[in-house]
Amino acid sequence: MTLLPRLALRQLRTQLRTTEWRALLLASWLAIALTTLLTLLGDRLERGLLRESAALLGADLVLSSSRPLNPERLTLIDAAEVQQTQVVQFPSMVSNPAAEDTPPMLVSVRAAYAPYPLRGEIITAPPQPTPLPAPGQAWVEARVLQQLGLSLGDQLQLGYSTFTLSAELLSSPDRGTGFRSFSPQLIINRADLDATGVLAPGSRASFRLLLAGAPEVISSLETALRPQLAEHERLLALRTDQPLTGDALGNALAYLKLTALVALLLSALTILLSLRRFSLRQHGRSALLLSLGLRPNQLVRIYLYQLAAGWLLVALLGTLTGVGAELAVQGWLRELLPQQLPPPAPWLYGSGAALGLVMLMLLGLPPALSLARIPVAHLLRGDTPPQDRRARLLHAACLVLLAITLLLFLQTPLAALVLLALLALGGLVFGYVAQGLLQLLSAPLARHLLLGRLLQLRLRQQRSWHRLQSAVIVLLLTLLAVVWISRADLLAQWQAKFPADTPNYFVINIQPWQKEGLDRFMAEHRIDSQLYPMIRGRLTELNGQPIRAQLSPEQQQDNTLRRELNLSWMYDPPAHNELLRGQWWQTTPEQPQISVEQEMMEHLGLKLGDRLGFDIGGQRVEADITNSREVEWTSFRPNFYVIFSPGALESYPTTWITSFRLDGEQRRLATELLLQFPSLTLIDIDQLLDQLEVWLQRLGESSAMLLLLTLACGLILMAVTLLQALDQRRFESALMQTLGASGEQTRRLDLLEFLLLGLTCGLLAALAAELTLMGLQQALLGVAPRFHASLWLLLPLLSATFFVATGLLIRRPLRLEQCYRLLRAGS
Amino acid sequence: MEQSTPQPLMIEARNVSKHFATEAGPVELFSNLNLSVAEGESLAIVGRSGAGKSTLLSLLAGLDTPSQGSIKLDGQTIAELDDRQRATLRANTLSFIFQSFHLLPELTALDNVRLPLEIRGATDPARDARHWLNEVGLGERVNHYPAQLSGGEQQRVAIARAFATRPRLLFADEPTGNLDEETGARIIEQLFQLNRQEGATLILITHDPELAARCQRCLRLHNGVLTEPTS
Repeated sequence: MTLLPRLALRQLRTQLRTTEWRALLLASWLAIALTTLLTLLGDRLERGLLRESAALLGADLVLSSSRPLNPERLTLIDAAEVQQTQVVQFPSMVSNPAAEDTPPMLVSVRAAYAPYPLRGEIITAPPQPTPLPAPGQAWVEARVLQQLGLSLGDQLQLGYSTFTLSAELLSSPDRGTGFRSFSPQLIINRADLDATGVLAPGSRASFRLLLAGAPEVISSLETALRPQLAEHERLLALRTDQPLTGDALGNALAYLKLTALVALLLSALTILLSLRRFSLRQHGRSALLLSLGLRPNQLVRIYLYQLAAGWLLVALLGTLTGVGAELAVQGWLRELLPQQLPPPAPWLYGSGAALGLVMLMLLGLPPALSLARIPVAHLLRGDTPPQDRRARLLHAACLVLLAITLLLFLQTPLAALVLLALLALGGLVFGYVAQGLLQLLSAPLARHLLLGRLLQLRLRQQRSWHRLQSAVIVLLLTLLAVVWISRADLLAQWQAKFPADTPNYFVINIQPWQKEGLDRFMAEHRIDSQLYPMIRGRLTELNGQPIRAQLSPEQQQDNTLRRELNLSWMYDPPAHNELLRGQWWQTTPEQPQISVEQEMMEHLGLKLGDRLGFDIGGQRVEADITNSREVEWTSFRPNFYVIFSPGALESYPTTWITSFRLDGEQRRLATELLLQFPSLTLIDIDQLLDQLEVWLQRLGESSAMLLLLTLACGLILMAVTLLQALDQRRFESALMQTLGASGEQTRRLDLLEFLLLGLTCGLLAALAAELTLMGLQQALLGVAPRFHASLWLLLPLLSATFFVATGLLIRRPLRLEQCYRLLRAGS
Repeated sequence: MEQSTPQPLMIEARNVSKHFATEAGPVELFSNLNLSVAEGESLAIVGRSGAGKSTLLSLLAGLDTPSQGSIKLDGQTIAELDDRQRATLRANTLSFIFQSFHLLPELTALDNVRLPLEIRGATDPARDARHWLNEVGLGERVNHYPAQLSGGEQQRVAIARAFATRPRLLFADEPTGNLDEETGARIIEQLFQLNRQEGATLILITHDPELAARCQRCLRLHNGVLTEPTS
């Protein structure tokens, strides 16, 4: 080995004992581990869910409709030379006919014609010879088997039909979008659908036409179809629509990335500060090496070699930690993910280590260059040249480069920039508020204690470090507290706001001929429920003219205009709605009248007496607004934007809807109901909420793990900042003892400072977390803010313990006889 | 050498030895050293670098303990005092002026002067600190930070800090070592003038013979022995 690498290795071996090198390596280790975790997980999720969206869509182009597909449209498509197939997807209850005690389960059913899918493939265990279940057979996901206590070969009840379970679904494309894609999946042959009786006119379902073909044909078909789309139709193209973008998982991924960015920045700051301290201690050695004839560029190389050797030490360890953490996160998320994730690209295993090297080199270059410029005269006079402008520019350039690398690496530059700006602003505010709070808290101490007065001077002396320390710790503790609490608490709170009699079952798709029997069933079992008719229609006209032309662009974006509305008709106003203005119709009026939901009235600028026109299955219906209602949308009761007076809608295809509550023993009635009316769709709200809760918990746990790693980065950074000021602290302590303070007094002063700093940070974090949670509660759930007493106790305690423990660990007691020597040495 | 005046003694060192253990064996800095300093007296200790002047100063100030012998400070035997009593003695009796000023960089001139007053538990530290900054001619710069002051001004703040507690014994360790000649001369003038005014005992460590000559007495530390220098 030549001289320079040998010297670098020797230097590293000696310096591994110093705290700054240990902190530097620890921070690099965490940064590498986090980056590895993030790239591996991100890549697998993206490749599994986003990039392979052709397989996810199951086709190159998908026409999705909430009504059966328009035959004219099909003719147009038939003319184009593309491969096509149809699928219907709808929510439905399934049960185990052999175990009547097991409650039924809500699944997402797909009934498809072969060939299906057109892109990607359905993977089953055991592998099946046909792409779709044979008639009379069904394929289900493991969750269904587990929950209903079924095995392959058993029978499954869906509507009026029973199916033999012939395979377990491992992964399947074309899962649909939104929450439905996360429901347990069941696939049957389209030929079996009618016999189940679950789908009737007006039922909620997604009718999809899957298309595949040459890119130019698909592209021209897309161009031709897009302008013709009706309100209830959507076109999903591989080029433009990625089923999960903007979806729960996509958001979760972005969130994980941003958390990791914070951790990476903290690590970078730790490395920067450690290198600064390291470089300050290398002045003498550098001047000596230069005096011995080493050229400046050789000196730079020695320091860079040393950093590279340090990097080698942690690269493997960090990568292994990252891979381990990725396996843990994946384990948490496994059963929630729609399909098995593909293995990551092999080169990504090195991504964390690579980013670690870039970070170390970029951050290490400026101090190495400045060390190479130390004058040899430093050995004689001990003076250090002030940092010149070029060095500062280099430092800034390296930091900008590093920031760009991180942002590009995370692929979410805009979100990351906004987050960074928010964090910087939050940090700045927290830093100054913490400083003010520290002064405020120390004031009464200063009035009563001699130590308190010294504390005030100490607070002034350490103020810039305190600002940095409190900004980082308050931000981290706040984030951690918010994620931890919202993991379970928000959902529980949301559920708790509903009265005890809030319905927990919805029944939809009730056909007119089932109404009477259902009414009887409800009455027999004393279930408090009311059936409402439901007709789907689109609002098209206002006072005889097309409505869109009369509205502002903003109003045109209103939800009520962008989709079909669920309309109803009734004699009496619903008991859970409040009539705000106008009069409810007494009998069956001659001219149709409507009652409109208050917010819709406001958004569209409607007033009593206006005449609205609706398109119901291609026919026009007009009615005058005679009253407005306030609707509690989260009441879990059937709610409608528009209710017609009796007589206006009876001739249109109608389904009925109801909701009710079943508790304890009564819950078995749900099973009984389905046995009697197999084609009904019964939605168990508790089951849905349970699924949601599992999701939130798993995501919360994953992000809490990332946040804990981030917190570890923050804590190391804290230790480094305490270390930065350590020499200054020792010096101050020596001076104070020389000026008449006892060793015990300086120890107590340090403890008091750390304790107060910890308490202040903890209190501020509790306040910030409480405010954030309050915002979340108000904005997301509309529930009254709740006070979290545990936060106010735990966060100050945690933070104070951390500061005092770190302070004590780093603080080395100074014997009196050392004091004067230290001050002399400082000369 | 004994004190001939009837003045009470501020420092009385008897048979003081100091040695350090090193890997190569014990190194003796000095042995059987005797020294008495009367209250109000000014004494210069000169000697070349490494002679042990600063160690002697830290022993005399009670900041270090001798390997053998005893030192009395203001009538109290230092070895008999515990940490707290020694701290009280330092706070109430002694002050230091250092070659490198040793001001805390994050505190203003005023706060730097306040620091020993706060340690002492003075009733109005801010008023006293302001008074002493006025005395050294820095009344207009009380809120400046050390980095905003020249070397001479920083040493004046250090002098204000040293006198603020009205010490009866003042140690000055190479007080002009980091200053140019002209500024050093002005600082020394101020130091001696304030010392006369306050009547404190002054122990000055220097290698500058001219400065040493301004003290009432001068001793040379050489090879572990204190002697009167030959003029």
